[in-house]
Amino acid sequence: MGMHMKRKERAASVYSIRLRWHIIISYCLAAVISLALIAGIIYFEYRSSVNERATARLVSVVMEHKGTIENFLFELANTMRMVTLLEDFDNLRQQDVLEQVYAVLEKEYDFAFEDLGVLDLDGNHLAYVGPYDLMDRNYIQAEWFQDVLEKEMVISNVFLGFRQAPHFIIAVKQTNGQDTWILRATVNAVKFASLVEYVRFGRTGFAYIVSHDGYYQTRSRDGYRVMDHVAPDHLDLEFFEGVNFWELKQDQRNFFRAKTWIKDNDWLLVVEQDVDDIYGELYLLRQNALIFFALGGILLLVLTLMTMKLLLRKVKLIDAEKELLDEQLIQSHKLASIGQLSAGIAHEINNPLAIIGEESGWMQDILKRENMQGIPEHDELTDSLREINQQAGRCRKITHKLLSFSRKMDATIREVDMNQLMDEVAALREREAGLSSIKFIRDYDQDLPMIHTDSSQVRQVLFNLINNAMDAINKNGEISLSTKKNKDKSITVTISDTGMGIPQENLTRIFDPFFTTKEPGKGTGLGLSICHGIIEKLGGTIFVASKVGEGTTFTIRLPLEPSVTVADD
Amino acid sequence: MDNPKVLLVDDEDRFRQTLKKRVSSREYNVFDASNGIQALEMIREEPMDVVILDVRMPGLSGLETLTEIKKISPETEVILLTGHASIDPAIEGMRLGAFDYLMKPCELEELMVKIDNAFEVKRKKSE
Repeated sequence: MGMHMKRKERAASVYSIRLRWHIIISYCLAAVISLALIAGIIYFEYRSSVNERATARLVSVVMEHKGTIENFLFELANTMRMVTLLEDFDNLRQQDVLEQVYAVLEKEYDFAFEDLGVLDLDGNHLAYVGPYDLMDRNYIQAEWFQDVLEKEMVISNVFLGFRQAPHFIIAVKQTNGQDTWILRATVNAVKFASLVEYVRFGRTGFAYIVSHDGYYQTRSRDGYRVMDHVAPDHLDLEFFEGVNFWELKQDQRNFFRAKTWIKDNDWLLVVEQDVDDIYGELYLLRQNALIFFALGGILLLVLTLMTMKLLLRKVKLIDAEKELLDEQLIQSHKLASIGQLSAGIAHEINNPLAIIGEESGWMQDILKRENMQGIPEHDELTDSLREINQQAGRCRKITHKLLSFSRKMDATIREVDMNQLMDEVAALREREAGLSSIKFIRDYDQDLPMIHTDSSQVRQVLFNLINNAMDAINKNGEISLSTKKNKDKSITVTISDTGMGIPQENLTRIFDPFFTTKEPGKGTGLGLSICHGIIEKLGGTIFVASKVGEGTTFTIRLPLEPSVTVADD
Repeated sequence: MDNPKVLLVDDEDRFRQTLKKRVSSREYNVFDASNGIQALEMIREEPMDVVILDVRMPGLSGLETLTEIKKISPETEVILLTGHASIDPAIEGMRLGAFDYLMKPCELEELMVKIDNAFEVKRKKSE
């Protein structure tokens, strides 16, 4: 049976390896998931804000460029228009006047103008200033020349022309009286391109211009030169209003691109910046954050494991306590059944024992008669009968102990009025006490609360203490019975006598089992050790104070509610 | 007839008879009954001074018998003999009007003292 019980306890155990892992894993998961969630939210929030900032910057760069480029071009064009308005055709067609004008322009615009020429409507040079010998060139077939005849003013696309160097033309048509003529200037495309190309931002920010028919007007980022055609599918040349921007991937390169049409929708200004560049800051942050969160995660993990260890230790402790309680429960059940058994036996034995006692007593009575005094072996018979009596008395004491032991096993807790209980017990002995001139003095607390306890066992204890008190007094004295409510949810009961008192050396041993100062065969009540056991079991305490010649006081403290105590015995 | 009239009530025949012999030899007028019903009949016929009553009896229990005795003859004093180590039945008996109680098996001398006390009390009440 013992083995069986043990196995059942194991199975019912709170602590198990599975529980341990279950707790550890779920705690760690909770910690890591919440950390990852926070990290993810922060990262994506930050990323979208960086994204927004980057695109806003690209758009502003595009708009700024557009302004700069258009300003530059129209300033050049307007300057040329001013020249045609300020100088007469007749003056301007003279080589030396044109040279003077060119010198001014060259100085003013930092060598942006490469050359300057005056043309008639047939495309022939009337005057020319510049590094090339272009006096005999005819431009009637040039696209820009056709355009200027129609539009009064033209800024051409970049082209290589006769000189095989990238350049573009600004031409202005002017009419003075009878004469209609054209002032033409070549703008150094490299110089112009620097306007665009020198404007860099970030590490990879880059701007370039593409003509509407797909030719680079400035150098591209990926190595295309001026006048090269845009690679197919690299750039969409559809017309649109305002600024376009988006993220895209080309040739294993992730970048943002913003573009806008400039120069009367003739050129497309494109600004690009690598995603890595834009997110560079973010990547650094991401790295730092990763380290931070990794450290946080480790810390959390360590904390979790430490907490777990503590928790599990506690669980183990509780488990052990539970096991102990279970064992004690089994133990008390065992004791209870032993108690019942012994009570039954004691009851059965009591009757024959009583008969034995009476029979031997009767024989003793007969032997005491006068006519029996002379019989042989009279003394032997008397001695033998006395021994029978004495042994029967011994058996009686055993059965009484067995009965009180069995009673001690089954505690029934109910509401008890301690004052009434004291009176009941006192009533058992009061009459007899009166015959010995022992007075009972009651000092009860009238506001004594009801307590929950085992009335039967408490009665037994009180009865025993009153009996002891009466024995201590023998004749003429007082026994004081008092009850009192304590502040700490308990009550105090005292029983004092004016008896002979207990010597100091016995006082410490008074609650020891088997300790007695009475003659053998005297006292049918419980031993003080059993009283002590009962009170402790009911969650109370019992004290004794005594002075030889003055008396003894027993003080019992009982809780209002019995505490859950482990079964003793 | 000055000798106190004592009635022994116990279902254990041999115990009752021997006890009767012993008490009788001490100048008491002793009667006996083996159960509660019989005891009550005897008390109705002849009032007793002291009744020694076993608590544990088949049929009418000791405490029930005690109640009836007190109805028939309130001045009769009753001493209970209990087989229990517990004083609970004794307390119950005292509440029902018993004079005293003794734990069984008991010393004859103890019993005799209690019988004397009970008789004394009864006599004083009658005066």
